[in-house]
Amino acid sequence: MLTLESVTKRFGGLTAVRGVSLEVRRGDLLGIIGPNGAGKTTLFNVIAGYYRPEEGRVVFEGRDVTGLPAHAISRLGLTRTFQIVKPFGNLCVADNVMIGALTRLQRVRDARVEAERVIALCGLGPHAPARARALPVGLRKRLEVARALATRPRLLLLDEVMAGLNPSELAGIIDLVRRVHAEGVTLIVIEHVMAAMMRLAQRIVMLHHGEKIAEGTPAEIAHDRRVIDAYLGDEFNLAEA
Amino acid sequence: MTRLAPDRWTAVALFAAAAATPLVTRDTFMLDSVILILLWGSLSAGWNVAGGYAGQVSLGHAAFFGIGAYAAALMSARHLNPWLGLAIGVGLSIGAGGLIGYLSNRLKGPYFALSTIAFAEVLKIVASRWRGFTAGSEGVPVPFRPGFATLGLGHVAWLYLILVLALVCYALQMYLERSRVGYQLAGVREDEDAAEALGIATRRRKVQAVVLSAALTSMGGSLWAQYVGFVDPSHVFSIDLSVRFALNSIIGGIGTALGPFLGSLLITSLETYLRATFSGIQAGFTGIYLIIYGVVLILIVRFAPEGVTGIAARWRTRRDRAHA
Repeated sequence: MLTLESVTKRFGGLTAVRGVSLEVRRGDLLGIIGPNGAGKTTLFNVIAGYYRPEEGRVVFEGRDVTGLPAHAISRLGLTRTFQIVKPFGNLCVADNVMIGALTRLQRVRDARVEAERVIALCGLGPHAPARARALPVGLRKRLEVARALATRPRLLLLDEVMAGLNPSELAGIIDLVRRVHAEGVTLIVIEHVMAAMMRLAQRIVMLHHGEKIAEGTPAEIAHDRRVIDAYLGDEFNLAEA
Repeated sequence: MTRLAPDRWTAVALFAAAAATPLVTRDTFMLDSVILILLWGSLSAGWNVAGGYAGQVSLGHAAFFGIGAYAAALMSARHLNPWLGLAIGVGLSIGAGGLIGYLSNRLKGPYFALSTIAFAEVLKIVASRWRGFTAGSEGVPVPFRPGFATLGLGHVAWLYLILVLALVCYALQMYLERSRVGYQLAGVREDEDAAEALGIATRRRKVQAVVLSAALTSMGGSLWAQYVGFVDPSHVFSIDLSVRFALNSIIGGIGTALGPFLGSLLITSLETYLRATFSGIQAGFTGIYLIIYGVVLILIVRFAPEGVTGIAARWRTRRDRAHA
């Protein structure tokens, strides 16, 4: 569904992503982990069309999308969320999600109905009339997911939707991610919350200094020497996660 | 979007009152006041399309106003059809708006606003220096040729003509509040990156908004030139005008359909009243209306940063809470 062919992105002298290749199949739930500055978000920005890579190609559903503008890629069915959430702050939650739905739907009335469905799916129902900027961070993360979902993506990139949440919010959003996956959306998830990642992801890719240093099932990753040295710090006990 | 309904009734009342004025009085001062309120309101609504709905705050909209004013005045002065001048002005402003809109994709916020000021200033210099074509800084008198085709109208006819312009501007803004394009523009205004992620072609949408805004402003400029009967570069391309378009919208309620008209009602009548009251008394008082005008502006910005429609909405929420 998505293929990265040795993608490299440089900022001046700094190489943020170096020769990363990746294969995502339909129905996958792929996790990307790595320390701060490993190039995870940069990789998302390259895939979603925010940065043009210096080298390599991004192929989505058989089509080379390298260098296409972000909105065109989103229209093809590949949407992302932002690590630092970007709600339309002065608009209400319902309008935020509806603007996402208007990407596929021409009529405002249809988009309104679709937005209601997505809002319910994401558990934002009681907050639909609230101004987005008035929401606490946990709900803003949900809104970020809801708005992206309203565009009906086939592949959704989630950038740290769990960061900074309390345990009950975390459980809620993990549940949401599972439901979205169950609806048939292929997911790539960046996350620092290892416990959640180990339970959610089918496969995990580890980035370090912009390079892919490991790939495998959560169990394999948890016992990979390089991953432990670079990131986990100590042997990660899957049973405790 | 709950505040739409009461605003709409206010708009109906406002436009109905304007339409009824000639039935009540034929006093030229009154009719002139209503015409100017509607005209500055329409021009501010034109500004609001880019500045309010798309979030591209321009301080150079006098450029489009001046293009429209000159296009109509120069046609009239050559005894040609001013409506054709209006159309040419709109065409030129669409081109200029496209250029400014393109700039907005490169420059953000204050840098964009500064570049629009520069644009209007350049046009002012061109109009002042190109004596052979524009008559330079002496300006262009518009000959009064009675008739609708030549836009030589009486006050009552002018009032209804400008009312039509105002209704068109209001309707376009309502469209921007409820349509797909309008919601997408709101997304662009709130966060461009997020809008892109949702599949909105943000650059194209911004250019479209600025172009529409420029076309409306140019139309208003052409009608103003025909109404007032004189065009000179230092006024029609002045930053004072650009600021007035922006201020009316901000004071009335930026990004709302009614806001620019409420702002114009407040500011235009205040200005007319103060000028009429104070300017004649003594030589020392000629500028006092500007001081009072300034104080009122400060008060509004201090106590109602969201404009008049914002206060009204706040009162309604408070009342609703008291009832709950």
